[in-house]
Amino acid sequence: MINISSKRNTLKLLGLISGLAFLPSLATSAYAENTAINVGALRFTSHAASFVAYERGYFKDEGLDVTFRFFQAAQPMAVAVASGDVDYAVTAISGGLVSLAEKGAAKVIGGALVEEAGVDGQKILVSDAAYKAGLTDPSKLDGKSWAVTQAGSSFHYMGAKIAAKEGTTLSYKPLQKVGAIIGALKSGQVDGWTIQPHIAKPLDKSGAVHIIGNVADYIPDYQVTVVFTSAENAANKRPLTEAFLRAFSRGAADFNAALVDKTAGDEAALEMVNLVHKYVYADKPFEEAEPSIRNGAMRISPNAALNAASVQDQLDWFKSEKLINDSVTYETLVDSSYVTK
Amino acid sequence: MNLQLKKIGHRYGATDVLQDIDLDIPAGKIVCIVGPSGCGKSTLLRLIGGLERPSTGQVVQIGDPPGDSLNPLTYVFQDFALLPWRSVEGNIRLVLEDHGITNRETEVIISDVLTRTKLTDFRQALPKQLSGGMKQRVAIARALAVKPAVMLMDEPLSALDSQTRELLMDDLVNLWTREAFTAVYVTHNLNEAVRLGHAVVVLSRRPGCIREVVDIDIPLAERTLGHPDLERQQQHLWNLMRDEAMAADQELVNA
Amino acid sequence: MPEISQENPPKTVLFRGGGFAPRPNRWAGAALFIALIALLEMGTRSGFITPLTLPRPSDVLSTFIDLWNSGLLWKHLVPSFSRLLIGATIGASFGIGIGILIGLFSLLRAGLVPLVAAIFPIPKIALLPLFVIWFGIDETSKYALIAFGTFTPTVVATYGAVDNVDRSLIRMGQSFSLSWFSIVRKIVLPGAMPGILSGLRISLAIAIILLVAAEMLGAEYGIGAYILEAGSLYNLERLFTGVAILSLLGLGMSAAIGLLEKWLLGWRT
Repeated sequence: MINISSKRNTLKLLGLISGLAFLPSLATSAYAENTAINVGALRFTSHAASFVAYERGYFKDEGLDVTFRFFQAAQPMAVAVASGDVDYAVTAISGGLVSLAEKGAAKVIGGALVEEAGVDGQKILVSDAAYKAGLTDPSKLDGKSWAVTQAGSSFHYMGAKIAAKEGTTLSYKPLQKVGAIIGALKSGQVDGWTIQPHIAKPLDKSGAVHIIGNVADYIPDYQVTVVFTSAENAANKRPLTEAFLRAFSRGAADFNAALVDKTAGDEAALEMVNLVHKYVYADKPFEEAEPSIRNGAMRISPNAALNAASVQDQLDWFKSEKLINDSVTYETLVDSSYVTK
Repeated sequence: MNLQLKKIGHRYGATDVLQDIDLDIPAGKIVCIVGPSGCGKSTLLRLIGGLERPSTGQVVQIGDPPGDSLNPLTYVFQDFALLPWRSVEGNIRLVLEDHGITNRETEVIISDVLTRTKLTDFRQALPKQLSGGMKQRVAIARALAVKPAVMLMDEPLSALDSQTRELLMDDLVNLWTREAFTAVYVTHNLNEAVRLGHAVVVLSRRPGCIREVVDIDIPLAERTLGHPDLERQQQHLWNLMRDEAMAADQELVNA
Repeated sequence: MPEISQENPPKTVLFRGGGFAPRPNRWAGAALFIALIALLEMGTRSGFITPLTLPRPSDVLSTFIDLWNSGLLWKHLVPSFSRLLIGATIGASFGIGIGILIGLFSLLRAGLVPLVAAIFPIPKIALLPLFVIWFGIDETSKYALIAFGTFTPTVVATYGAVDNVDRSLIRMGQSFSLSWFSIVRKIVLPGAMPGILSGLRISLAIAIILLVAAEMLGAEYGIGAYILEAGSLYNLERLFTGVAILSLLGLGMSAAIGLLEKWLLGWRT
């Protein structure tokens, strides 16, 4: 394991030299009670597991003093983990995340959002103009423009997988932000896109955009988002990392029971919506936010299980698109010692 | 063509600059205007050429300018005012371009004025390559090119060192002797005035009015450096001006 | 005069002048550049600088060579060039035109100068979504963004340059009864040219900056799109390759303006 130890040394040097906040200590044993950690989050329903764990004291139970750091996009969050400003976060697997893992800065330690048959998942959307021109089915996407935030983003992956299955080709339009994509879709500047149901459904209802399919039909068991941390935390702070995953999983279990499986009863569901509303759509009145939160409820992997096949498929696609180096393996990205299969 | 100034007065805001100027500028003569600094002699020149409008009085042309005159009232400026991006030839061509003259004629005029000002060898030179004296020669050539009825010369030699000034004075005298031109020549240098002027107009300090007009009858060609009569005239002019100059010097700038 | 004695020996007067006059040095710039690159190369090779912090210069070079060999370089450069060329040409011509009008007509100046001053500090990038709505997601919005970004600095530089034209030259033109149009064309324009060209230097640099912004929306190919993609992939080699290409583009533009200045402004001392 010469490789790993040299990587460790590099990281130590990095911490000392470049001022990035890697702690040089090798605290492999226990961590102190009330250890302060930063958790990165987007104000999306898909990040609810962390919110639940925080609100219900599951982090406290593990002796973790969590501070949330909110971001506008997944990309800067990944960089913040790499720089040590954030300890744990949830994001989609993107070329950027893989690249950071390859550079020894980030490590995936578990799964979060998954596409699951029977649960409302991500939707395929088309603009009204395209719909009226006959684009009513994903098989008719040939030659159409497809909105992505960035090359190598999950939107790019989904578009490519859908196109591959339908035997069509798409032209990808990078638009950087979800807001910009929605604007472009509404005004008919781009033809198609995929997004989580809590955004897709209201758009479809407004009539400016139409849902023409489900991502799950094209990418079954798609591991949409993953839990990740810095390589330093993964390698040298095992008890802390495991504690985080335990608390996170309890939050996920509560969330699934309340809003995905709906086994906890109506009262628990309402309570869960209330809890999530503190973080998501906080600027909207409860009545407006409620349907969006309920619509957006996709399963968060129990026990942070990771679908290795899906992750491998995504890595293979990134490689085929020359977005990441061929030398990257599953192990480069994932620290499987944490992962529940 | 003669020019006549009738009761010219001028003011900038509340300040009277010129008052009651009556003056004749006869054809074929050089009239020098001298006076202490700030007396308004340059302003007077701008009024004569129509670059400024007098507050009172008027400038009258008597008789028509010669038919071939392209720009009857033509200035020669102290700072030469040459376009730095045009060659000697180009600077002269500039003032001919708006008159609808054929290329042949233009060529003839340019060659002629360059010969007269001894600039033929510098035809393609840019202003930056020329000394101050040469630049002023170009400006004079340019003025000659439009065949002016009256040349309005605003301290044309003041920016030059004294040797160059002597050389250019000789040149001006030669030019005039070969082909008499009419000129109003503003200067603060009494030596230039007595060397070039058929008449020297002495202005008082502000508000400028005519103190005396001194006629000098010696032919221009005979006015050599150190000519005793000229020395006397120059002394006389200085006597007229000394007190004015002293008073003008002690005035507050913004008074 | 005091006598020269043992206690008071003659002293050479101390030299106090010199300095404050920059002297050209051809090699210092290149030497510093090479030294920095060498330092980076050594740092990254020894592991002193981690791959997360900075890419290895030789890797950047090989990324560039790959880009060249695969033909992708031109696929990225050609659209970027045409965006720059068309956008900057539109922006600069309008800028020079309006700038001259502002310089010549007091009424236009009174009306437009505050407007231009208000537009100038707007980060044009912020208006990108608006441009997409106005001009569509394809090339037109990219031209418009670059044109808009180059327009304002060009206007300001141009009317400043017109203001700085030697008034005595204009007076001279009038004294020779040149027509208004002749004065503008033959005196004002050439006189303003140095100021316009130095303004253009800044405008074109801004155009390159805006190229990246313009290619944020809906560009599959282009140096800006390449850089943005590299950033989102956290691929530092590609990022630096793209940035280096932009720098070269900037150097090229600057050299082109230098040539233009030499050609148009040879008359300057």
